[in-house]
Amino acid sequence: MTNTLWFQNAVLELRRGVILIAVLTQLSTQKYGYALLKSLAEKGFELDQGTLYPLLRRLESQDLLDSSWKIEEGRPRRYYVINAEGKRALARLSKEWAGLVTTMDGILSTDRRQK
Amino acid sequence: MSLMDRYVSEVEKRLPRKVATDISAELRSTLRDMLEDRSRAAGRPADEAMEKDLLREYGAPDVVAASYSPRPYLIGPRLYPFFLMVVKIVLSVLTTVLVITTGLQMSGGAPISPTELPAAIGNALTAVISAAIQAFGNIVLVFAILERFVPASEFKLHEEKEWDPDLLTREPEPDRVKPWEPIIAILFTGAALVLFNLYPHIIGLYSLSEGRGAFAPILSDAFFRWMPWINLTWLLEIGLNLILLRQGRWQPSTRLVSLVIQILQIIVGYFLLTGPSLTAITPEALSAAGPLTVEAARTITALIQQVVRGVILIVILLGALDAGKTIWRLLGARRQAIKANM
Repeated sequence: MTNTLWFQNAVLELRRGVILIAVLTQLSTQKYGYALLKSLAEKGFELDQGTLYPLLRRLESQDLLDSSWKIEEGRPRRYYVINAEGKRALARLSKEWAGLVTTMDGILSTDRRQK
Repeated sequence: MSLMDRYVSEVEKRLPRKVATDISAELRSTLRDMLEDRSRAAGRPADEAMEKDLLREYGAPDVVAASYSPRPYLIGPRLYPFFLMVVKIVLSVLTTVLVITTGLQMSGGAPISPTELPAAIGNALTAVISAAIQAFGNIVLVFAILERFVPASEFKLHEEKEWDPDLLTREPEPDRVKPWEPIIAILFTGAALVLFNLYPHIIGLYSLSEGRGAFAPILSDAFFRWMPWINLTWLLEIGLNLILLRQGRWQPSTRLVSLVIQILQIIVGYFLLTGPSLTAITPEALSAAGPLTVEAARTITALIQQVVRGVILIVILLGALDAGKTIWRLLGARRQAIKANM
């Protein structure tokens, strides 16, 4: 399949919903933005900075994350960590995600059998 | 100042002031981390070319800054349906009125030769289009202000609310304020404020005589002497409608303010009606400006005076009717409160 614009947009749309879950799961321990990017990339989830940093700020303003500044290696770094409200949100989102995967697996396997 | 510092400062300039320092500090720290990683991977110290590559990949400063701000709306989706409705009403009424008045002026003036006709139609069309654009601009301005000052909760999208079939059978609520009512009141009162205070010289009769445009102002100084009081009632009216827009319901306090405004309007109307002539047009000036005879001009002048007084009389009567309704509702609210306490 060629990487046409509609395909790229469709993939972006698919990923947009799960980025939140991916980020929240990685912040059970304190991480700064760039370390989080690298940790997600190591797990195969590539994300660009232009998406991650605004998302982190949004999650903090929605009271799902806490943040604090620390000086490390001679430079200030902002560390983020999931809070109690964030953990509750992550549990609900993970359940939704599992349900969605089961439903989609069912739909896709029916489709495959019919072919 | 290094290239990176310049880049961060360019992003910072474009960020909302409240968060700019925080975001730029985080951005600077991330860029340094990334540059260090690249230098380590390349096995050589970071140089300018490496820095340039990094910044190019990170993106243009305006794009980076924009990613932190939600898309700003001049008029957001909550107010847009009301905006569209007001634009449709105002533009259709304005166009109709302008087309009729321009048509009357053209037919009432000196006969237009076939060679002058295209130019006359062109002028009339230009006037209609420019008035429509001006009206549209004013509506956009009012809605943009409302978008920023009226809390978002006042205007929920239909899909955000759970629709209740009981709405179909619900009894009318006299205290409920439909959002478009104060919006229309604010728009028209604001337009009147602007017209009577900033452009009083354009309120008059226009005619085309022997190819020349002539103008005669309608309202006299006796009318404009009352402008401070009229302005006061209009400003109070705008303030009241802004409160109604926020509260969404009539309260005894807002009804009382409304009653005070109505009484003030009736008093001003009474003095205008019983005072000196409110029209500035004289038969002599009218016949000199157009093709009318002095006799015809005298009849038209008298007619205009009657129309102006008639309008004021209607305003007084409607004000009295509204004041009566307001008193009735205030007493009704008091009766209900007494009943509830019993």
